[in-house]
Amino acid sequence: MPTIELSGVQKSYVAGQLAVRNLHLEVPDGSFTCLLGPSGCGKTTTLRMIAGLEQPDAGEIRVGDRVLDSVAQGRFVPPEKREMGFVFQSYALWPHLTVRRNVDFGLRLRKCSRPERERRVAEAMRALHIEEYADRYPAQLSGGQQQRVSLARMLAVSPDVLLLDEPLSNLDAALRLEMRTELKRLHAELGHTVVFVTHDQLEAMTMATHIAVMKDGELQQLAAPMEIYERPANTFVAEFVGSPPMCMLDRETAPGAAAIWDFVAATDPELAVQAGTIGIRPESIMLAADHLAVPEGCLAFPVTVTAVLPTGSTWIVSLDGPGGEMFAVTSTPPVGGVGDEVVAWVPRERLHVFDDAGVRLTARHERVAGDEPVEAIR
Amino acid sequence: MSVEARERPNATQEPPDRPSRVARLRYRLNVARHDPTLAIGIVLTAVLAYLVVVPIITLVIDGLQVQYGDQQRAQKDPGEWTTYYLWRVFRSPISELLFWEPLVNTLVVVVGTTVIALLLGGSMAWLLARTDMFGRKWFATALVVPYILPSWTFALAWLTIFKNRRVGGQLGLMEALGATPPDWLAYGRVPIIITLGMHYFPFVLLLVGNALRRLDSQLEDSARILGAPRRTINRKIVLPLVRPALTSAILLVTAKVIGTFGTPYILGLPVDYNVLATSLYQSINSRQTGVGAVLAATIVVIGVSILLIDARLVREYRRFVTIGGKGAMGRVNRLGRWRLPAFLAAAGVFTLCVVVPLGTLFLSTIMVVPGRFELSNFTLDFWIGDDLDSVGFPQGILVSEELYTAAWNSVRIVGLASIICAVLGLLVGYVVVRLAGTRLSSFLRQAAFLPYLVPGIAFAAAYLSLFAVPRGPIPALYGTFTILVLAMVVNQLPFSSRAGISAMMQLGREPEEAAQVCGAGWWRRTTRVVMPIQKGSLAVGVVMPFISGIKELSVVIMLATSGTQLLTTLSVDLVEYGYTQLANAVVLVIAFVSFTMTYIAQRLTGTSLAAGLQG
Repeated sequence: MPTIELSGVQKSYVAGQLAVRNLHLEVPDGSFTCLLGPSGCGKTTTLRMIAGLEQPDAGEIRVGDRVLDSVAQGRFVPPEKREMGFVFQSYALWPHLTVRRNVDFGLRLRKCSRPERERRVAEAMRALHIEEYADRYPAQLSGGQQQRVSLARMLAVSPDVLLLDEPLSNLDAALRLEMRTELKRLHAELGHTVVFVTHDQLEAMTMATHIAVMKDGELQQLAAPMEIYERPANTFVAEFVGSPPMCMLDRETAPGAAAIWDFVAATDPELAVQAGTIGIRPESIMLAADHLAVPEGCLAFPVTVTAVLPTGSTWIVSLDGPGGEMFAVTSTPPVGGVGDEVVAWVPRERLHVFDDAGVRLTARHERVAGDEPVEAIR
Repeated sequence: MSVEARERPNATQEPPDRPSRVARLRYRLNVARHDPTLAIGIVLTAVLAYLVVVPIITLVIDGLQVQYGDQQRAQKDPGEWTTYYLWRVFRSPISELLFWEPLVNTLVVVVGTTVIALLLGGSMAWLLARTDMFGRKWFATALVVPYILPSWTFALAWLTIFKNRRVGGQLGLMEALGATPPDWLAYGRVPIIITLGMHYFPFVLLLVGNALRRLDSQLEDSARILGAPRRTINRKIVLPLVRPALTSAILLVTAKVIGTFGTPYILGLPVDYNVLATSLYQSINSRQTGVGAVLAATIVVIGVSILLIDARLVREYRRFVTIGGKGAMGRVNRLGRWRLPAFLAAAGVFTLCVVVPLGTLFLSTIMVVPGRFELSNFTLDFWIGDDLDSVGFPQGILVSEELYTAAWNSVRIVGLASIICAVLGLLVGYVVVRLAGTRLSSFLRQAAFLPYLVPGIAFAAAYLSLFAVPRGPIPALYGTFTILVLAMVVNQLPFSSRAGISAMMQLGREPEEAAQVCGAGWWRRTTRVVMPIQKGSLAVGVVMPFISGIKELSVVIMLATSGTQLLTTLSVDLVEYGYTQLANAVVLVIAFVSFTMTYIAQRLTGTSLAAGLQG
């Protein structure tokens, strides 16, 4: 299975507005890589360029040792010759063909022998549990079934690279969970290189082996999901991944900033000087009735509980604290009710520190632990 | 240093060196080689530029250059620039007759027609969409019938009833019964307004009816929950939300009336009541090409301005008009004891606008002398006789060669034009959608829509000036089938291309792209995926232009010659000869064809009559 490599890829639809900006991205061989970002960040454009459905204005796209696009060399391999699979958000099933014919389409073009075709169509339909709908037309299928057909259609020709453009966004919650499991299973079984576009961070976190976070056409970070979560490269990644979002305390504007910076300075003065923003994940915030319950060496600050939202397994607590409104997520019923003043505390190593430009700063304890992912914090 | 900044992944990479112009061009060409969309787009652009844009430019140039034969009057050589025609149309002693009076007449007709169409169409729309009147479903189709009939059907029916001795030929029914209608009732302003109103009210009915039906009932429910009485809801909520449709209907009817030729010609001629369209026709007919060009250009300018105003207003309105998809209209006004009168009113409108005109026309074709209801007076000679006293047309319509020649011409020309139109429309749609966002795409969309802004008769004038003489590789086309086909195609193109664009939009690019990713090249994608999916739209795309083309008069009246007689022009010729019964019979034939085709189209698409109606 090949590695997909993009180097220096640029693309603009409207003159002067770059949809994708100088993108260098390496999708590892056999990985399940998610392109994650808010809408309009260029992730779908990137995917379509890999498929050849859009063409870059500059740069190069390679799969394995095959150059698919190279503006400088004038090289372009049309989508129909790229041997990839692409699943569209809208499924894009052909309404005039039955499920079987939809799945069969690519094989017919490849001039497979009839028994071979029948075998592979049956195989693909079985893998996605759609054999019973073989003779129906797409309009007679539910969204989830259509989704499966659309996947089967691409799997039938067994491409090395499978590109998925927000394939789950049109499904309801239960089906989405089912399809996530299904996709993960297929990936494990078949070992394609998968590139998956989504704006749903939960989807990316749960499915991907690698996540590429994009914003405004630029790659922000490419790393394993937990690395992205625990060591976000910048404030954008930090805020975008995680729900409720990370609470960001700005040195200039957060009301209680001084005390927090003092706390950081006490252990790591240089870090405190460089820090422009400090982020705290909601689940890192613990609540206590008073200061006595706070362990040694932890950042503690007073907050007022403004709302408690139980989700069943956890409690989301809305707080009025040094950063204005902030959230905590607790796994036990929170101390204090609405209107009560309580103490919030955060272990030192759970603070995310960013410089004025929003780039992550490495704290001393991390440097001691080397450059490995910070497993210790968990 | 105890702190190190983690770099963003991109920061280490150098910005891409922009590939050279040559390299980019080479890359582009390579892309284009695999996808002919761009090439098709360029060809379409050239075709549309020549068929749509060039004629209008030629028209303007013709109005500003001295024409052959006008050297003396303009005191310049042919081909030189001149303001002579402008002067002649707008400022000369005869401009009163050529332009100003027709302009005033046109405005009067427009206002009158619009008022009638609004009153009839608006009230019927309300009854159909918002009340529990009897037979709403039936009326929804029946009341659209006047719009399916050729517009000048009503003019012929009117003459058949109200014609007086001022004009020779067959007597009018009233005259025959002993009551001579005065000129003002028989010809000119009043009948033109009434008959055009009868033809165009369904247009208002459709537009306003759709708006009323689409209105989200939750909007009204909200008002009602807040305590608003029915009347207030209608006045404060429903009316403002329907206003865009009303405004649109008014402007579109106006634009259509300005370009309408048949009715004003038939009813206005006997008393020299000219509107712009007929004035233009007479100028062209008397070979005053320059004057005709100026008049046509003026009509174009008026037409374009009206539609631009419409587009502007529609945009304005779009800010607040919400099209509620979900809350399908469930609320109806209970008419109570007004239920029967409402039904009678609708039935009355149907009778007046469909039964009476068609009945009159039919009766006139089976009676020798109007108004005498004796068995001996009834005859089928006008349909199947072969010994009529009408010189040059001695046979009944159904056995005469002329009818079949004209019908065959109509079918051939309109049929060919419709097929070309449907294919062009889909191609335009394909390119517009595939290249969305490019300049080529927006040019194609606009150029294909441009003929909509140009009244038919003005377009015909433009075609006359463009194709009257050979230009470059294109020979003179006047008097040929080709020019009629081209004019028909262009006239219908706005609707076909709009249909094509929306069909392609609805399809989206994905199904084709999916085939592409699966390994299908362009030809395969087109024949295996796009065409089969669009089969239905293609069929509708052929039938719709056919229906509206078969009854088209304004576009062809100046382009058809005796060698290329069409059903519509044949009927007008017969009117001119004074062969009332024969003319009426031909119109009935056209109406019949138009009906049948509409019915087939309806069966074919499963949509209502209303949805498919266009020009």
